[in-house]
Amino acid sequence: MTRAAAPPNRPPEPDGPRQVSKFEFNLLRILRFFLGHFPSDQGLQLVRAAITRPECLGGTAVDLIKDSLSKACVLFLVRAGGWRNDRFLRENNPTGGRAWERTSLEERTLEFSRHVVEFLLWATAEKIHETKVAWDAPAKELSPADELFFWLAFDACRADPDVVAVLRKKSAFRLNPLCWISFPGDMTESDEPTLPEFRPLFTGLRAVVLECLQPHLAGRWTRSERAKGQIGDWKKMRQQGRAEFAALRAFLEAAGQANRTDLGRFVLKTNAALFQTDLLPVFWTGGLQGSGPPRLADRLDTQRAALAVPRQMEVLDGWQQQALYVGYFDDEYQASQMWKQDWEAADGNHVAARARAAVEMLEPLRAPSSSLPPAGSGQQTEDTPVDRPG
Amino acid sequence: MSRAYRITVKESETRHLKAGDEICTQLEILEILPPVDMATLLRNELKNRGFEEQDDGTMTRQDGDVAVTIDPCSGEVTVKAATEETVNQEARRDATGFNDVGPNEGKLRDRVREQLKQDLDKKFEQEQSRLQTKATEDLEKHLNEIQPEISQIVNQVTRDALKQKAQQMGTVKEIAEDPESGSLTIKLEV
Repeated sequence: MTRAAAPPNRPPEPDGPRQVSKFEFNLLRILRFFLGHFPSDQGLQLVRAAITRPECLGGTAVDLIKDSLSKACVLFLVRAGGWRNDRFLRENNPTGGRAWERTSLEERTLEFSRHVVEFLLWATAEKIHETKVAWDAPAKELSPADELFFWLAFDACRADPDVVAVLRKKSAFRLNPLCWISFPGDMTESDEPTLPEFRPLFTGLRAVVLECLQPHLAGRWTRSERAKGQIGDWKKMRQQGRAEFAALRAFLEAAGQANRTDLGRFVLKTNAALFQTDLLPVFWTGGLQGSGPPRLADRLDTQRAALAVPRQMEVLDGWQQQALYVGYFDDEYQASQMWKQDWEAADGNHVAARARAAVEMLEPLRAPSSSLPPAGSGQQTEDTPVDRPG
Repeated sequence: MSRAYRITVKESETRHLKAGDEICTQLEILEILPPVDMATLLRNELKNRGFEEQDDGTMTRQDGDVAVTIDPCSGEVTVKAATEETVNQEARRDATGFNDVGPNEGKLRDRVREQLKQDLDKKFEQEQSRLQTKATEDLEKHLNEIQPEISQIVNQVTRDALKQKAQQMGTVKEIAEDPESGSLTIKLEV
Protein backbone atom coordinates (compact mmCIF):
# COMPACT_ATOMS: atom_id res chain seq x y z
CA MET A 1 0.00 0.00 0.00
CA THR A 2 1.40 3.41 -0.84
CA ARG A 3 1.71 6.10 1.73
CA ALA A 4 -0.89 8.17 -0.07
CA ALA A 5 -3.38 5.34 0.31
CA ALA A 6 -2.97 5.19 4.10
CA PRO A 7 -5.85 6.50 6.22
CA PRO A 8 -5.48 10.22 6.98
CA ASN A 9 -5.32 9.73 10.77
CA ARG A 10 -2.24 7.48 10.62
CA PRO A 11 1.30 8.92 10.75
CA PRO A 12 3.34 8.37 7.62
CA GLU A 13 5.37 5.16 7.45
CA PRO A 14 9.19 5.62 7.68
CA ASP A 15 11.23 4.90 4.59
CA GLY A 16 13.56 2.21 5.99
CA PRO A 17 13.37 -0.46 8.72
CA ARG A 18 12.80 0.97 12.19
CA GLN A 19 15.39 0.47 14.92
CA VAL A 20 14.50 -1.57 18.02
CA SER A 21 16.54 -3.25 20.77
CA LYS A 22 17.19 -7.00 20.90
CA PHE A 23 14.52 -7.43 23.58
CA GLU A 24 11.99 -5.45 21.56
CA PHE A 25 12.89 -7.41 18.46
CA ASN A 26 12.13 -10.67 20.33
CA LEU A 27 8.94 -9.22 21.76
CA LEU A 28 7.72 -8.21 18.32
CA ARG A 29 8.51 -11.65 16.92
CA ILE A 30 6.61 -13.27 19.82
CA LEU A 31 3.70 -10.94 19.19
CA ARG A 32 3.68 -11.92 15.53
CA PHE A 33 3.84 -15.58 16.56
CA PHE A 34 0.80 -15.14 18.81
CA LEU A 35 -1.03 -13.43 15.96
CA GLY A 36 -0.22 -16.23 13.55
CA HIS A 37 2.31 -14.35 11.41
CA PHE A 38 5.52 -16.06 12.54
CA PRO A 39 6.57 -19.73 12.25
CA SER A 40 5.27 -21.79 15.15
CA ASP A 41 8.51 -23.65 15.94
CA GLN A 42 10.55 -20.45 16.06
CA GLY A 43 7.88 -18.68 18.09
CA LEU A 44 7.77 -21.47 20.66
CA GLN A 45 11.56 -21.34 20.95
CA LEU A 46 11.31 -17.64 21.75
CA VAL A 47 8.68 -18.09 24.48
CA ARG A 48 10.78 -20.87 25.99
CA ALA A 49 13.83 -18.58 26.12
CA ALA A 50 14.60 -15.82 28.63
CA ILE A 51 16.14 -12.40 28.02
CA THR A 52 16.82 -9.52 30.38
CA ARG A 53 13.88 -7.20 30.59
CA PRO A 54 14.51 -3.48 30.06
CA GLU A 55 12.87 -0.87 32.27
CA CYS A 56 10.60 0.28 29.49
CA LEU A 57 9.93 -0.09 25.79
CA GLY A 58 10.99 2.47 23.21
CA GLY A 59 8.47 4.55 21.30
CA THR A 60 9.21 2.73 18.06
CA ALA A 61 8.49 -0.67 19.61
CA VAL A 62 5.26 0.60 21.14
CA ASP A 63 4.18 1.93 17.75
CA LEU A 64 4.96 -1.40 16.13
CA ILE A 65 3.05 -3.32 18.83
CA LYS A 66 0.01 -1.09 18.31
CA ASP A 67 0.31 -1.46 14.57
CA SER A 68 0.60 -5.26 14.71
CA LEU A 69 -2.27 -5.66 17.14
CA SER A 70 -4.63 -3.39 15.27
CA LYS A 71 -3.92 -4.83 11.84
CA ALA A 72 -3.48 -8.51 12.66
CA CYS A 73 -6.52 -8.89 14.92
CA VAL A 74 -8.80 -7.21 12.41
CA LEU A 75 -7.27 -9.23 9.58
CA PHE A 76 -7.81 -12.42 11.55
CA LEU A 77 -11.45 -11.65 12.27
CA VAL A 78 -12.11 -10.74 8.66
CA ARG A 79 -10.47 -13.90 7.37
CA ALA A 80 -12.12 -16.08 10.03
CA GLY A 81 -15.55 -15.17 8.78
CA GLY A 82 -16.15 -11.45 9.06
CA TRP A 83 -15.88 -11.10 5.28
CA ARG A 84 -18.90 -13.32 4.69
CA ASN A 85 -22.15 -11.78 3.73
CA ASP A 86 -24.10 -13.39 6.54
CA ARG A 87 -27.07 -12.71 8.75
CA PHE A 88 -27.04 -12.29 12.53
CA LEU A 89 -29.52 -11.03 15.06
CA ARG A 90 -29.66 -7.43 16.19
CA GLU A 91 -32.33 -6.99 18.87
CA ASN A 92 -34.17 -10.08 17.66
CA ASN A 93 -34.09 -9.01 14.02
CA PRO A 94 -31.87 -10.56 11.37
CA THR A 95 -29.34 -8.10 9.95
CA GLY A 96 -27.40 -9.04 6.85
CA GLY A 97 -24.07 -8.03 5.36
CA ARG A 98 -20.40 -8.35 6.10
CA ALA A 99 -19.16 -7.71 9.66
CA TRP A 100 -18.36 -4.07 8.95
CA GLU A 101 -21.73 -3.56 7.27
CA ARG A 102 -23.75 -5.13 10.07
CA THR A 103 -21.94 -3.28 12.86
CA SER A 104 -21.13 0.38 13.29
CA LEU A 105 -17.51 1.49 13.77
CA GLU A 106 -18.11 2.38 17.44
CA GLU A 107 -19.41 -1.10 18.15
CA ARG A 108 -16.54 -2.89 16.45
CA THR A 109 -13.57 -0.91 17.75
CA LEU A 110 -10.94 -3.11 19.34
CA GLU A 111 -9.37 -1.59 22.43
CA PHE A 112 -6.46 -3.35 24.08
CA SER A 113 -5.55 -2.77 27.70
CA ARG A 114 -2.13 -2.61 29.37
CA HIS A 115 -2.47 -6.32 30.25
CA VAL A 116 -1.63 -7.30 26.68
CA VAL A 117 1.66 -5.39 26.73
CA GLU A 118 2.48 -6.68 30.21
CA PHE A 119 1.88 -10.22 29.01
CA LEU A 120 4.14 -9.64 26.02
CA LEU A 121 6.88 -8.28 28.27
CA TRP A 122 6.55 -11.26 30.58
CA ALA A 123 6.45 -13.81 27.75
CA THR A 124 9.57 -12.27 26.21
CA ALA A 125 11.59 -11.87 29.39
CA GLU A 126 10.73 -15.20 31.01
CA LYS A 127 10.76 -18.84 30.05
CA ILE A 128 7.01 -19.34 30.16
CA HIS A 129 7.23 -23.00 31.04
CA GLU A 130 9.51 -22.51 34.03
CA THR A 131 9.05 -18.93 35.07
CA LYS A 132 9.29 -17.82 38.69
CA VAL A 133 7.91 -14.35 38.02
CA ALA A 134 4.18 -14.28 38.54
CA TRP A 135 2.08 -12.69 35.84
CA ASP A 136 -1.65 -12.74 35.45
CA ALA A 137 -4.45 -10.42 34.41
CA PRO A 138 -7.76 -10.38 36.31
CA ALA A 139 -10.46 -11.59 33.94
CA LYS A 140 -12.76 -8.70 34.88
CA GLU A 141 -10.23 -6.13 33.72
CA LEU A 142 -9.91 -7.61 30.25
CA SER A 143 -11.57 -5.92 27.30
CA PRO A 144 -13.17 -8.01 24.51
CA ALA A 145 -10.12 -7.27 22.36
CA ASP A 146 -7.81 -8.50 25.15
CA GLU A 147 -9.79 -11.73 25.32
CA LEU A 148 -9.44 -12.15 21.57
CA PHE A 149 -5.69 -11.58 21.82
CA PHE A 150 -5.23 -14.02 24.73
CA TRP A 151 -7.31 -16.58 22.85
CA LEU A 152 -5.01 -16.21 19.83
CA ALA A 153 -1.94 -16.43 22.06
CA PHE A 154 -3.17 -19.61 23.74
CA ASP A 155 -4.04 -21.15 20.41
CA ALA A 156 -0.55 -20.41 19.10
CA CYS A 157 1.03 -22.12 22.13
CA ARG A 158 -1.16 -25.23 22.08
CA ALA A 159 1.54 -27.25 20.31
CA ASP A 160 3.69 -27.07 23.44
CA PRO A 161 2.12 -28.95 26.38
CA ASP A 162 4.54 -27.43 28.93
CA VAL A 163 3.62 -23.89 27.96
CA VAL A 164 -0.09 -24.73 27.84
CA ALA A 165 0.08 -26.24 31.32
CA VAL A 166 1.39 -22.93 32.68
CA LEU A 167 -0.94 -20.65 30.71
CA ARG A 168 -4.17 -22.47 31.54
CA LYS A 169 -3.65 -21.78 35.24
CA LYS A 170 -3.79 -18.03 34.64
CA SER A 171 -7.08 -16.17 34.88
CA ALA A 172 -6.53 -14.43 31.55
CA PHE A 173 -6.88 -17.82 29.88
CA ARG A 174 -8.72 -19.95 32.44
CA LEU A 175 -11.66 -17.56 32.58
CA ASN A 176 -11.63 -16.66 28.90
CA PRO A 177 -14.91 -17.94 27.38
CA LEU A 178 -13.44 -17.90 23.87
CA CYS A 179 -10.83 -20.44 24.95
CA TRP A 180 -13.53 -22.66 26.44
CA ILE A 181 -15.69 -22.74 23.33
CA SER A 182 -12.69 -23.45 21.10
CA PHE A 183 -10.46 -25.97 22.87
CA PRO A 184 -12.06 -26.88 26.22
CA GLY A 185 -10.00 -30.06 26.45
CA ASP A 186 -6.85 -27.96 26.83
CA MET A 187 -8.36 -25.74 29.50
CA THR A 188 -8.70 -28.27 32.28
CA GLU A 189 -6.62 -30.84 34.10
CA SER A 190 -9.46 -32.56 35.91
CA ASP A 191 -12.69 -34.40 35.12
CA GLU A 192 -14.76 -31.64 36.69
CA PRO A 193 -14.06 -28.48 34.72
CA THR A 194 -14.65 -25.06 36.27
CA LEU A 195 -16.35 -23.00 33.61
CA PRO A 196 -16.21 -19.25 33.06
CA GLU A 197 -19.24 -17.01 32.66
CA PHE A 198 -20.57 -17.23 29.08
CA ARG A 199 -23.25 -14.53 29.23
CA PRO A 200 -20.92 -11.63 28.32
CA LEU A 201 -20.20 -13.35 25.00
CA PHE A 202 -23.65 -12.42 23.71
CA THR A 203 -23.48 -8.66 24.08
CA GLY A 204 -21.47 -5.82 22.53
CA LEU A 205 -18.14 -6.35 20.88
CA ARG A 206 -17.79 -9.92 22.19
CA ALA A 207 -20.89 -10.91 20.23
CA VAL A 208 -19.48 -9.23 17.11
CA VAL A 209 -16.24 -11.17 17.52
CA LEU A 210 -18.20 -14.38 17.97
CA GLU A 211 -20.16 -13.67 14.79
CA CYS A 212 -16.91 -13.37 12.87
CA LEU A 213 -15.58 -16.58 14.41
CA GLN A 214 -18.55 -18.78 13.46
CA PRO A 215 -17.02 -20.40 10.34
CA HIS A 216 -13.65 -20.68 12.07
CA LEU A 217 -15.19 -22.43 15.08
CA ALA A 218 -17.24 -24.79 12.93
CA GLY A 219 -14.10 -25.80 11.02
CA ARG A 220 -12.07 -26.18 14.19
CA TRP A 221 -14.68 -28.36 15.92
CA THR A 222 -15.17 -30.50 12.81
CA ARG A 223 -11.43 -31.18 12.64
CA SER A 224 -11.31 -31.87 16.36
CA GLU A 225 -14.20 -34.37 16.17
CA ARG A 226 -12.67 -36.16 13.21
CA ALA A 227 -9.38 -36.46 15.10
CA LYS A 228 -11.05 -37.86 18.20
CA GLY A 229 -10.93 -41.36 16.79
CA GLN A 230 -7.14 -41.18 17.15
CA ILE A 231 -7.22 -40.68 20.94
CA GLY A 232 -5.96 -43.84 22.59
CA ASP A 233 -5.87 -42.83 26.23
CA TRP A 234 -9.13 -43.38 28.11
CA LYS A 235 -8.34 -40.79 30.74
CA LYS A 236 -7.54 -38.12 28.16
CA MET A 237 -10.72 -38.91 26.24
CA ARG A 238 -12.83 -38.70 29.36
CA GLN A 239 -11.26 -35.44 30.47
CA GLN A 240 -11.51 -33.81 27.06
CA GLY A 241 -15.04 -35.07 26.41
CA ARG A 242 -16.36 -33.96 29.76
CA ALA A 243 -14.83 -30.51 29.32
CA GLU A 244 -16.29 -30.24 25.80
CA PHE A 245 -19.72 -31.33 26.91
CA ALA A 246 -19.81 -28.99 29.90
CA ALA A 247 -18.47 -26.00 27.96
CA LEU A 248 -20.72 -26.39 24.91
CA ARG A 249 -23.79 -27.10 27.03
CA ALA A 250 -23.20 -24.02 29.21
CA PHE A 251 -22.48 -21.92 26.13
CA LEU A 252 -25.66 -23.03 24.34
CA GLU A 253 -27.79 -22.51 27.44
CA ALA A 254 -26.41 -18.99 27.78
CA ALA A 255 -27.05 -18.37 24.06
CA GLY A 256 -30.64 -19.54 24.43
CA GLN A 257 -31.20 -17.31 27.45
CA ALA A 258 -29.73 -14.32 25.60
CA ASN A 259 -31.91 -15.05 22.52
CA ARG A 260 -28.76 -15.34 20.41
CA THR A 261 -29.36 -18.76 18.90
CA ASP A 262 -27.55 -17.49 15.80
CA LEU A 263 -24.29 -17.59 17.76
CA GLY A 264 -24.73 -21.32 18.39
CA ARG A 265 -24.78 -21.90 14.65
CA PHE A 266 -21.25 -23.30 14.64
CA VAL A 267 -22.39 -26.25 16.79
CA LEU A 268 -25.16 -27.01 14.31
CA LYS A 269 -22.77 -26.72 11.37
CA THR A 270 -20.21 -28.97 13.06
CA ASN A 271 -22.84 -31.67 13.56
CA ALA A 272 -24.09 -31.20 10.02
CA ALA A 273 -20.56 -31.68 8.69
CA LEU A 274 -20.14 -34.84 10.76
CA PHE A 275 -23.51 -36.46 10.22
CA GLN A 276 -23.69 -36.45 6.46
CA THR A 277 -24.21 -40.20 6.86
CA ASP A 278 -25.09 -42.41 9.81
CA LEU A 279 -22.18 -42.71 12.21
CA LEU A 280 -21.40 -45.33 14.83
CA PRO A 281 -19.91 -44.38 18.21
CA VAL A 282 -16.71 -46.09 17.12
CA PHE A 283 -16.09 -43.04 14.92
CA TRP A 284 -15.17 -41.24 18.16
CA THR A 285 -14.06 -44.11 20.40
CA GLY A 286 -12.33 -46.38 17.87
CA GLY A 287 -8.84 -45.30 18.90
CA LEU A 288 -9.18 -46.12 22.60
CA GLN A 289 -6.50 -48.62 23.57
CA GLY A 290 -7.00 -51.65 25.80
CA SER A 291 -10.06 -52.56 27.78
CA GLY A 292 -10.11 -49.28 29.69
CA PRO A 293 -10.93 -48.67 33.34
CA PRO A 294 -12.03 -51.68 35.40
CA ARG A 295 -15.42 -50.18 36.29
CA LEU A 296 -18.15 -50.33 33.68
CA ALA A 297 -19.42 -46.97 34.97
CA ASP A 298 -16.11 -45.30 34.07
CA ARG A 299 -15.93 -46.95 30.65
CA LEU A 300 -19.47 -45.85 29.85
CA ASP A 301 -18.77 -42.36 31.13
CA THR A 302 -15.72 -42.08 28.87
CA GLN A 303 -17.64 -43.26 25.83
CA ARG A 304 -20.49 -40.88 26.54
CA ALA A 305 -17.98 -38.05 26.97
CA ALA A 306 -16.45 -38.85 23.60
CA LEU A 307 -19.78 -37.98 21.95
CA ALA A 308 -19.95 -34.56 23.57
CA VAL A 309 -20.68 -32.72 20.32
CA PRO A 310 -23.51 -34.95 18.98
CA ARG A 311 -25.13 -34.73 22.41
CA GLN A 312 -25.51 -30.97 21.91
CA MET A 313 -28.05 -31.62 19.14
CA GLU A 314 -30.54 -32.22 21.92
CA VAL A 315 -30.35 -28.53 22.85
CA LEU A 316 -30.48 -27.37 19.24
CA ASP A 317 -33.45 -29.63 18.56
CA GLY A 318 -35.15 -28.00 21.55
CA TRP A 319 -34.54 -24.58 19.98
CA GLN A 320 -36.08 -25.84 16.76
CA GLN A 321 -39.17 -27.12 18.58
CA GLN A 322 -39.53 -23.76 20.32
CA ALA A 323 -39.12 -21.92 17.03
CA LEU A 324 -41.91 -23.96 15.49
CA TYR A 325 -44.32 -22.66 18.11
CA VAL A 326 -43.47 -18.96 17.72
CA GLY A 327 -46.38 -17.12 16.14
CA TYR A 328 -46.35 -14.32 13.60
CA PHE A 329 -47.22 -11.68 16.18
CA ASP A 330 -44.64 -12.80 18.73
CA ASP A 331 -41.55 -10.66 19.32
CA GLU A 332 -39.25 -13.53 18.48
CA TYR A 333 -40.90 -14.31 15.16
CA GLN A 334 -38.09 -12.97 12.96
CA ALA A 335 -35.42 -14.59 15.09
CA SER A 336 -37.23 -17.94 15.07
CA GLN A 337 -37.68 -17.75 11.30
CA MET A 338 -33.97 -17.22 10.93
CA TRP A 339 -33.19 -20.17 13.19
CA LYS A 340 -35.56 -22.38 11.20
CA GLN A 341 -33.79 -21.37 8.00
CA ASP A 342 -30.43 -22.22 9.56
CA TRP A 343 -31.86 -25.54 10.72
CA GLU A 344 -33.28 -26.29 7.30
CA ALA A 345 -30.03 -25.34 5.56
CA ALA A 346 -28.12 -27.72 7.82
CA ASP A 347 -30.72 -30.47 7.28
CA GLY A 348 -31.28 -30.29 11.02
CA ASN A 349 -33.94 -33.01 11.30
CA HIS A 350 -31.74 -35.63 9.69
CA VAL A 351 -28.67 -34.48 11.58
CA ALA A 352 -30.52 -34.55 14.91
CA ALA A 353 -31.90 -38.04 14.20
CA ARG A 354 -28.46 -39.36 13.28
CA ALA A 355 -26.84 -37.73 16.30
CA ARG A 356 -29.53 -39.17 18.58
CA ALA A 357 -29.07 -42.63 17.09
CA ALA A 358 -25.29 -42.47 17.62
CA VAL A 359 -25.71 -41.33 21.22
CA GLU A 360 -28.33 -43.96 22.01
CA MET A 361 -26.18 -46.76 20.63
CA LEU A 362 -23.95 -46.29 23.64
CA GLU A 363 -26.77 -46.57 26.12
CA PRO A 364 -27.14 -49.88 27.91
CA LEU A 365 -30.55 -51.52 28.29
CA ARG A 366 -31.64 -50.42 24.85
CA ALA A 367 -32.98 -53.16 22.63
CA PRO A 368 -30.89 -53.48 19.45
CA SER A 369 -33.94 -52.92 17.30
CA SER A 370 -34.64 -49.56 18.92
CA SER A 371 -31.07 -48.38 19.18
CA LEU A 372 -29.86 -49.08 15.68
CA PRO A 373 -31.25 -46.51 13.33
CA PRO A 374 -33.01 -47.88 10.28
CA ALA A 375 -31.77 -46.89 6.84
CA GLY A 376 -32.86 -43.37 6.01
CA SER A 377 -33.55 -42.77 9.67
CA GLY A 378 -33.87 -39.07 9.03
CA GLN A 379 -37.49 -39.59 8.10
CA GLN A 380 -38.15 -40.88 11.59
CA THR A 381 -38.27 -37.44 13.18
CA GLU A 382 -40.77 -36.15 10.71
CA ASP A 383 -43.14 -39.09 10.82
CA THR A 384 -43.15 -40.54 14.30
CA PRO A 385 -43.29 -37.80 16.92
CA VAL A 386 -46.69 -37.52 18.50
CA ASP A 387 -46.61 -33.99 19.83
CA ARG A 388 -44.61 -32.24 17.18
CA PRO A 389 -46.31 -29.73 14.99
CA GLY A 390 -46.04 -30.25 11.27
CA MET B 1 33.91 -60.19 66.47
CA SER B 2 30.54 -59.69 64.85
CA ARG B 3 27.73 -62.19 65.22
CA ALA B 4 24.99 -62.59 62.67
CA TYR B 5 21.42 -63.09 63.74
CA ARG B 6 18.20 -63.64 61.84
CA ILE B 7 14.79 -62.35 62.82
CA THR B 8 11.46 -63.42 61.40
CA VAL B 9 8.50 -61.07 61.52
CA LYS B 10 4.98 -62.18 60.76
CA GLU B 11 1.99 -59.90 60.40
CA SER B 12 -1.61 -60.61 59.70
CA GLU B 13 -4.49 -58.24 59.10
CA THR B 14 -8.19 -58.51 58.48
CA ARG B 15 -10.03 -55.92 56.40
CA HIS B 16 -13.58 -55.58 55.20
CA LEU B 17 -13.40 -54.83 51.48
CA LYS B 18 -16.20 -53.38 49.38
CA ALA B 19 -16.47 -52.94 45.62
CA GLY B 20 -19.25 -51.69 43.43
CA ASP B 21 -20.15 -50.67 39.93
CA GLU B 22 -23.23 -49.10 38.45
CA ILE B 23 -24.70 -47.73 35.27
CA CYS B 24 -27.38 -45.15 34.89
CA THR B 25 -29.52 -44.72 31.78
CA GLN B 26 -32.91 -43.55 30.64
CA LEU B 27 -35.92 -45.58 29.60
CA GLU B 28 -37.41 -44.77 26.20
CA ILE B 29 -40.94 -43.98 27.31
CA LEU B 30 -43.04 -42.25 24.65
CA GLU B 31 -45.23 -39.40 25.86
CA ILE B 32 -48.52 -40.92 24.73
CA LEU B 33 -50.31 -39.78 27.87
CA PRO B 34 -49.41 -36.95 30.25
CA PRO B 35 -46.20 -37.67 32.22
CA VAL B 36 -48.11 -38.37 35.45
CA ASP B 37 -50.25 -41.04 33.78
CA MET B 38 -47.24 -42.60 32.07
CA ALA B 39 -45.47 -42.72 35.44
CA THR B 40 -48.49 -44.46 37.01
CA LEU B 41 -48.58 -47.07 34.26
CA LEU B 42 -44.87 -47.69 34.64
CA ARG B 43 -45.17 -47.93 38.41
CA ASN B 44 -47.96 -50.52 38.13
CA GLU B 45 -46.03 -52.58 35.62
CA LEU B 46 -42.94 -52.53 37.81
CA LYS B 47 -45.00 -53.62 40.83
CA ASN B 48 -46.25 -56.59 38.82
CA ARG B 49 -42.66 -57.56 38.18
CA GLY B 50 -41.61 -57.56 41.81
CA PHE B 51 -40.32 -54.00 42.22
CA GLU B 52 -41.00 -52.34 45.55
CA GLU B 53 -41.80 -48.69 46.00
CA GLN B 54 -39.34 -46.71 48.10
CA ASP B 55 -39.94 -43.60 50.21
CA ASP B 56 -38.51 -41.35 47.48
CA GLY B 57 -40.95 -42.75 44.90
CA THR B 58 -38.44 -44.91 43.07
CA MET B 59 -39.06 -48.63 42.46
CA THR B 60 -36.34 -51.06 43.46
CA ARG B 61 -35.74 -54.76 43.04
CA GLN B 62 -32.80 -56.65 44.47
CA ASP B 63 -31.56 -59.44 42.19
CA GLY B 64 -28.82 -61.09 44.25
CA ASP B 65 -25.91 -58.66 44.49
CA VAL B 66 -27.45 -56.40 41.89
CA ALA B 67 -30.06 -53.74 42.65
CA VAL B 68 -32.24 -52.32 39.88
CA THR B 69 -33.82 -48.94 40.65
CA ILE B 70 -36.23 -47.17 38.33
CA ASP B 71 -37.66 -43.72 38.83
CA PRO B 72 -41.14 -43.88 37.21
CA CYS B 73 -41.34 -40.08 36.96
CA SER B 74 -38.09 -39.46 35.09
CA GLY B 75 -37.61 -42.93 33.58
CA GLU B 76 -34.11 -43.09 34.99
CA VAL B 77 -32.78 -46.61 35.52
CA THR B 78 -29.89 -47.39 37.82
CA VAL B 79 -28.41 -50.85 37.93
CA LYS B 80 -25.96 -51.24 40.76
CA ALA B 81 -23.80 -54.20 41.67
CA ALA B 82 -22.13 -54.29 45.05
CA THR B 83 -20.03 -56.92 46.68
CA GLU B 84 -18.17 -57.08 49.96
CA GLU B 85 -15.94 -59.55 51.68
CA THR B 86 -13.95 -59.84 54.87
CA VAL B 87 -10.43 -60.77 53.87
CA ASN B 88 -7.62 -61.97 56.08
CA GLN B 89 -4.07 -61.67 54.79
CA GLU B 90 -0.77 -62.80 56.25
CA ALA B 91 2.75 -61.78 55.38
CA ARG B 92 6.10 -62.95 56.66
CA ARG B 93 9.64 -61.69 56.18
CA ASP B 94 13.07 -62.77 57.32
CA ALA B 95 15.97 -60.38 57.87
CA THR B 96 19.59 -60.83 58.82
CA GLY B 97 21.55 -58.43 61.05
CA PHE B 98 24.92 -58.16 62.73
CA ASN B 99 25.26 -57.19 66.35
CA ASP B 100 28.23 -54.82 65.83
CA VAL B 101 27.44 -53.14 62.50
CA GLY B 102 24.22 -52.02 60.86
CA PRO B 103 20.96 -51.39 62.64
CA ASN B 104 20.33 -52.91 65.98
CA GLU B 105 17.58 -55.44 66.42
CA GLY B 106 14.84 -52.95 67.29
CA LYS B 107 15.47 -50.81 64.24
CA LEU B 108 15.76 -53.85 62.02
CA ARG B 109 12.48 -55.22 63.31
CA ASP B 110 10.76 -51.85 62.66
CA ARG B 111 12.12 -51.75 59.14
CA VAL B 112 10.95 -55.26 58.38
CA ARG B 113 7.54 -54.49 59.89
CA GLU B 114 7.25 -51.47 57.60
CA GLN B 115 8.07 -53.65 54.60
CA LEU B 116 5.50 -56.18 55.78
CA LYS B 117 2.89 -53.45 55.94
CA GLN B 118 3.61 -52.57 52.32
CA ASP B 119 3.37 -56.26 51.38
CA LEU B 120 -0.01 -56.49 53.09
CA ASP B 121 -1.24 -53.33 51.37
CA LYS B 122 -0.29 -54.81 48.01
CA LYS B 123 -2.12 -58.04 48.80
CA PHE B 124 -5.24 -56.14 49.83
CA GLU B 125 -5.02 -54.05 46.66
CA GLN B 126 -5.02 -57.26 44.64
CA GLU B 127 -8.02 -58.51 46.59
CA GLN B 128 -9.78 -55.19 46.04
CA SER B 129 -9.10 -55.46 42.34
CA ARG B 130 -10.46 -59.02 42.29
CA LEU B 131 -13.64 -57.88 44.05
CA GLN B 132 -14.02 -54.96 41.65
CA THR B 133 -13.72 -57.29 38.67
CA LYS B 134 -16.35 -59.55 40.20
CA ALA B 135 -18.75 -56.62 40.76
CA THR B 136 -18.29 -55.40 37.20
CA GLU B 137 -18.76 -58.87 35.75
CA ASP B 138 -21.92 -59.33 37.83
CA LEU B 139 -23.22 -56.03 36.52
CA GLU B 140 -22.43 -56.83 32.89
CA LYS B 141 -24.03 -60.24 33.20
CA HIS B 142 -27.12 -58.82 34.82
CA LEU B 143 -27.44 -56.10 32.20
CA ASN B 144 -27.61 -58.75 29.50
CA GLU B 145 -30.24 -60.64 31.48
CA ILE B 146 -32.39 -57.66 32.33
CA GLN B 147 -32.39 -56.00 28.90
CA PRO B 148 -35.22 -58.14 27.47
CA GLU B 149 -37.27 -57.54 30.61
CA ILE B 150 -36.77 -53.78 30.38
CA SER B 151 -37.89 -53.91 26.74
CA GLN B 152 -40.98 -55.87 27.78
CA ILE B 153 -41.76 -53.31 30.49
CA VAL B 154 -41.46 -50.41 28.04
CA ASN B 155 -43.57 -52.23 25.44
CA GLN B 156 -46.23 -53.09 28.01
CA VAL B 157 -46.43 -49.51 29.27
CA THR B 158 -46.67 -48.26 25.68
CA ARG B 159 -49.47 -50.73 24.90
CA ASP B 160 -51.41 -49.77 28.05
CA ALA B 161 -50.94 -46.10 27.28
CA LEU B 162 -52.20 -46.56 23.72
CA LYS B 163 -55.27 -48.39 24.97
CA GLN B 164 -56.03 -45.62 27.45
CA LYS B 165 -55.48 -42.98 24.78
CA ALA B 166 -57.84 -44.83 22.45
CA GLN B 167 -60.50 -44.94 25.15
CA GLN B 168 -60.15 -41.20 25.63
CA MET B 169 -60.57 -40.63 21.89
CA GLY B 170 -63.74 -42.70 21.41
CA THR B 171 -65.40 -46.07 21.90
CA VAL B 172 -63.03 -48.99 21.50
CA LYS B 173 -64.59 -51.58 19.18
CA GLU B 174 -61.79 -54.08 18.88
CA ILE B 175 -58.28 -54.65 20.14
CA ALA B 176 -56.00 -57.13 18.43
CA GLU B 177 -52.53 -57.90 19.77
CA ASP B 178 -49.85 -60.06 18.23
CA PRO B 179 -47.26 -60.86 20.90
CA GLU B 180 -44.85 -62.31 18.33
CA SER B 181 -44.63 -59.27 16.09
CA GLY B 182 -45.48 -56.86 18.88
CA SER B 183 -48.20 -55.22 16.80
CA LEU B 184 -51.26 -53.73 18.43
CA THR B 185 -54.36 -52.78 16.44
CA ILE B 186 -57.12 -50.78 18.06
CA LYS B 187 -60.35 -50.07 16.23
CA LEU B 188 -62.42 -47.32 17.72
CA GLU B 189 -65.50 -45.36 16.92
CA VAL B 190 -65.12 -41.64 17.28
